[in-house]
Amino acid sequence: MISGSLLFQSLILGVLLGGLYALLAAGLTLYFGVMRVVMIAHSAFLILAAYLAWYFHRQTGLDPLLSMVVTAPLFFVIGVAMQRLLITRLRPATRTMMSVLLTFAIAIGIEGLLGYVFTGTHRRTQLSYSGASFELFGARVAVVKLIAFGLAAAALGGLFLLLRKTTFGQALRATMQHKEAAELAGIDTDRVAGYGFGIGLATAAVGGTAMALDVTIYPSLHWHWIGPLMAIIVVGGLGSVPGAAIAAMLLGVTQSLLQLPLGTTWAQTIFYLALFATLVFRPQGFFGGRLAQRF
Amino acid sequence: MRSGSESRRRIGTLARLLALAIGTALVLSFPQVAPNPYVLSAGVVIVNYAVLATSWNLVGGFTGYISLGHGAYLGLGAYGTGLLVTRADVPSFVALVIAAAIVAVLAIPIGIASLRVRGASFVIVSIALVLILLLVFQSWASFTGGSNGLVVPRPFPGLRRPEHHMVFFYLFCALLALALLAWWIIDRSRFGLGLKAIREDEDKAQALGTPTFAYKLAAFVVSATFTALGGGMYALWFGDLDPIFQFSILTGAYMVLMALLGGVRHLFGPVLGALVVGYALEYFKLEYGDTQLHLVATGVLLGLVVLFMPDGVIPAVADLYARFFKPQAASIREVSTAELLAQRAAEAGAQPGGGDGGPGGEPGGTSVPTSAEAKR
Repeated sequence: MISGSLLFQSLILGVLLGGLYALLAAGLTLYFGVMRVVMIAHSAFLILAAYLAWYFHRQTGLDPLLSMVVTAPLFFVIGVAMQRLLITRLRPATRTMMSVLLTFAIAIGIEGLLGYVFTGTHRRTQLSYSGASFELFGARVAVVKLIAFGLAAAALGGLFLLLRKTTFGQALRATMQHKEAAELAGIDTDRVAGYGFGIGLATAAVGGTAMALDVTIYPSLHWHWIGPLMAIIVVGGLGSVPGAAIAAMLLGVTQSLLQLPLGTTWAQTIFYLALFATLVFRPQGFFGGRLAQRF
Repeated sequence: MRSGSESRRRIGTLARLLALAIGTALVLSFPQVAPNPYVLSAGVVIVNYAVLATSWNLVGGFTGYISLGHGAYLGLGAYGTGLLVTRADVPSFVALVIAAAIVAVLAIPIGIASLRVRGASFVIVSIALVLILLLVFQSWASFTGGSNGLVVPRPFPGLRRPEHHMVFFYLFCALLALALLAWWIIDRSRFGLGLKAIREDEDKAQALGTPTFAYKLAAFVVSATFTALGGGMYALWFGDLDPIFQFSILTGAYMVLMALLGGVRHLFGPVLGALVVGYALEYFKLEYGDTQLHLVATGVLLGLVVLFMPDGVIPAVADLYARFFKPQAASIREVSTAELLAQRAAEAGAQPGGGDGGPGGEPGGTSVPTSAEAKR
């Protein structure tokens, strides 16, 4: 029988994992919102950031979290460049479909380069506080997981404030809601969409750095992330940031709880079950997501 | 005048038949020409790719629903065949047909779930399906053999290796012919017309009374079945299955790349793409061995095709040919929505202030100015 403390432990781990999922899903939602693009390469950039953090730590001996100072702005620039130079080149009528292929191409390009440069060896960042943990009502919480969660929560909170409280956030939301109307209101939607893309990719940098703290990384790891993330944004309703965050939390916790009776591998299937259930019963997603009806 | 065009058309048909006959003869004589068993086996792989790409094109080309997850049906066909042979002692080729039938039945609920939604969600589901099947077939080791693989006994145990390759080369060719025939028939049928209407504008097609959902589903099931046949045949030929390679998104991506590269609107487009990509893949494997560079090459090629040649090589070459040798094109031709939008954008750009087409059905339908800007 599963004991209460074990259950509580799983719940905590689920929440910590859900936070990271939420941040990453928010990035995916941004791309979809501003450009109707499904960014398959999101998790590949995530792994890239994790590799950069690991490499930074190995070369300099400094805390891998510091690598974010470089990777986050760098990814922002890459994101803007990607939107301006690649995505806008696609024909509008087939953009959603073709962008999937284009970002898929980028994803396997990154995977291949990582495999070529760093080889397929599994890598893990060893830190002085890697093994540290503390007790919380009988549950053991690893410090690295808590740091990762804190980072994700802070980034997500920052993103939320940016979207809600700033003029740029207003312009971004307007672009997501109705591009033409936003243009009529004097918003340079192309520029805003580019920045939206950059911010989305910057979330991958933050998430990847957080991930490097306690996950063993290898080049093809991104496939294990893209499936759950895709499921999350569909369940949350494509294009809805709060929807994605709620779905991420719920599915993260469910996955963590299901690991007790089913084991890690089978617990992952919850994402795909949720995905199929969503499409059968509520294709527009369970949490908001007015955009999804047409896509 | 009329007789002139009539005779010209007849000559065109004759030329086409002749080219087809020569092409078929070249392909069929390949096993005799191949210098060694390795080249022959590479030929088998390429014909297998051609089967898969043509099968993919049955749904991707006609309806415009791009599936990155056809690896799922490939894997199911392969494992279905393998498991039926090893666990139930079904004769090899009976197992192949049964496995394909099972996949056809499975494709119905999958199609119903995924075709309800358009564009993005469809692709997401297709990817998710491969990932979930990979998980299941890896974890359920007691039944599928898991990561240790599943050894499928050869259907013709008496044959030596080169002869084995040769027999399967012809079997794959027969399957390819069947898939091409299916594509050709659908292309010329009312059903095919409906599918193309879905590709160009699903809402309008539906408004005009095309049973869009039933059509999509039918095309999807036929495509999945042919993919499963290709996978099952591969299982019988190769004899060793591993979930990692069978349920691979990469294989699904190869199918898309081949079809797009060759041209999804042409009967032989995917075959041409399979020839190019299949050859390139074999070359990369030979030159760079186990490094991950073939992934980079695939990525770059796919990116280039999507950005610069989304209609494939055949239309690109045909356009060039038309530009130099046929200045006067026919007045009626097939125009895709994207081309129409581009034309309209050009017109709107020529006369500022003119209406820009109004809200279209597609996400980018209303953003005509963007497309014009992107063209510059």
